[in-house]
Amino acid sequence: MKQLPKYLPLAPVFAAYVVMFLIAENMEGMWQLMSMLLFYCALGQAFNVFMGMTGYVDFGYVAFLGMGTYGMALSITRLVQYEFLGVWIIVIGFALAMVMSTLLSMAVGAVALRLRGAYFAIATIGVNEGFRFLIEGARIWNGSEGMIFTADLNTILGREAAAALCTYWADIMVLVIAALAASVTLFYMRTKVGYALTALREDEDAAKVMGINVTKFKIIAFITSASLAGLLGATAWALKTPYVFPPEVFEIHYTIEAIIIAMLGGAGTLLGPVVGGLVYGLSKYYLSIFLPGFQLLIFAPVILVIIVLFPEGIVGMLKARTKGTGVERFIV
Amino acid sequence: MALLELKNVTKRFGGLVAVNQVSLEIDKGEFVGIVGPNGSGKTTLFNVINGVFFPEEGTVTFEGRDITRLPPFKRAPLGIGRTFQIPRPFASATVRENIAVGAMFGTQGRSLNVDGSLQIADQIIERVDLTAHRDKPAGALTPVEKKLMEIARSLAMKPKLLLMDEAMAGMHPNDIDQMVSFIKRVAEEENIAIVAMVEHIMRAVVGLAEKVIVLHQGSKIVDAPTKEALEDPKVVEVYLGHAPED
Repeated sequence: MKQLPKYLPLAPVFAAYVVMFLIAENMEGMWQLMSMLLFYCALGQAFNVFMGMTGYVDFGYVAFLGMGTYGMALSITRLVQYEFLGVWIIVIGFALAMVMSTLLSMAVGAVALRLRGAYFAIATIGVNEGFRFLIEGARIWNGSEGMIFTADLNTILGREAAAALCTYWADIMVLVIAALAASVTLFYMRTKVGYALTALREDEDAAKVMGINVTKFKIIAFITSASLAGLLGATAWALKTPYVFPPEVFEIHYTIEAIIIAMLGGAGTLLGPVVGGLVYGLSKYYLSIFLPGFQLLIFAPVILVIIVLFPEGIVGMLKARTKGTGVERFIV
Repeated sequence: MALLELKNVTKRFGGLVAVNQVSLEIDKGEFVGIVGPNGSGKTTLFNVINGVFFPEEGTVTFEGRDITRLPPFKRAPLGIGRTFQIPRPFASATVRENIAVGAMFGTQGRSLNVDGSLQIADQIIERVDLTAHRDKPAGALTPVEKKLMEIARSLAMKPKLLLMDEAMAGMHPNDIDQMVSFIKRVAEEENIAIVAMVEHIMRAVVGLAEKVIVLHQGSKIVDAPTKEALEDPKVVEVYLGHAPED
């Protein structure tokens, strides 16, 4: 029980997710919006583990989601013939998604994590595009034709269960992944990993001299963040929509969205990705309804203003404002 | 056996020999001043001792162990601490967290968890009188406070050897006296060898040193007990023929 107060900051995060779930369950027509918001929160939360805590921006991040999507797709399409596996195929799919995104992150990390700051960002920019062209060009995993596995999912789970998985349980799993990512973030913050990451984010050379094996901690954060992305891809992009096409899952657009969410909410904070995900998702959704076609035109200056006014993000600003008050320990 | 031993260490940057065949010994608990004008190779020498650079020639031995090619993050847990000429705080972390990082990855790091490290940080904060700033982000401190915090952070590592790079530059003479006597007291209590590097022969620092090493253009020209060193004609020459202030 002594450990409990340390994990109190998870309360507002979980509360936000529960509220989103309740709105989706009880309000007509809200499911789709909530599921989009949850995806953005989960994306931000997973991305934040590496980008927020180390300060390194990985422009190829979406490739980890892509790998996760392929992991699940491969498991379903290749194992569907083994009927006795049943629902375990999905479980194996999650495991494969994690393994594949972890392996990719190790390969990328081994090269790119030797570089610093902007050089790291530039080195990672090509990862998603390179992977897409590799899959298409070398005709790996059906190449550019992609995989459609709605029928396989029906065979494995039965038509009704498969439909429930796509339209309901996949979204619940996204929620679970978002909560998992938040828990991992706070766990890191409360252990030596978090202190080491903060130190290396602020001053890598000083951190080394202080006895911190910066490479080790960067790799820990990178792999954690990538495997969470793998799970998210397997859920939101494979189970929710049972098909995969290379151009869709290696689209850099999602990396950019992850960066915006993390920066908007507050990079390196626990609450940041939730706030950023909500603000970004809601504005994107409503702007596209009320001012279709203009949403980016309006959104760009809004982001600019927020970044200029609150360089530490919304949560970073709240953290500074609530210093010394009772709310302080909830805003982390 | 000396705590730290350098044998014929040479470090070059291209054609420039920054440290030239330097040998020296530092004993346990000793207070040594390294003096030399700008560009004499002092900072490079520090960087060789704590592993930021590996020397082209020569060996570095710490407690009898050859550490010439050991990366810096493995030297800190052995007991080599360092402060920088311009303080390098982890700006967004609080003073308390900064100092706890020192404890967490220092000589006792393996046996300390986060809570234990924070406790050590609290004790040190009280000792260095930073209590009022404990929960401030380190980036918000004044330059003098940052220096103090950096010293506190390196003391939290419980080092056996502390390298101080121009620790007192830019400080008010009264603060220097106070700081130096504090460091000296802690070093004596905990048996820490201090190597303080200064550009000028500062009374406060050199006066307390047991031994003074003078560097000039990368080479060691004097290595003697303080009084002798300061009277050495070579030292006078290095500083443009002016006699050192007394």
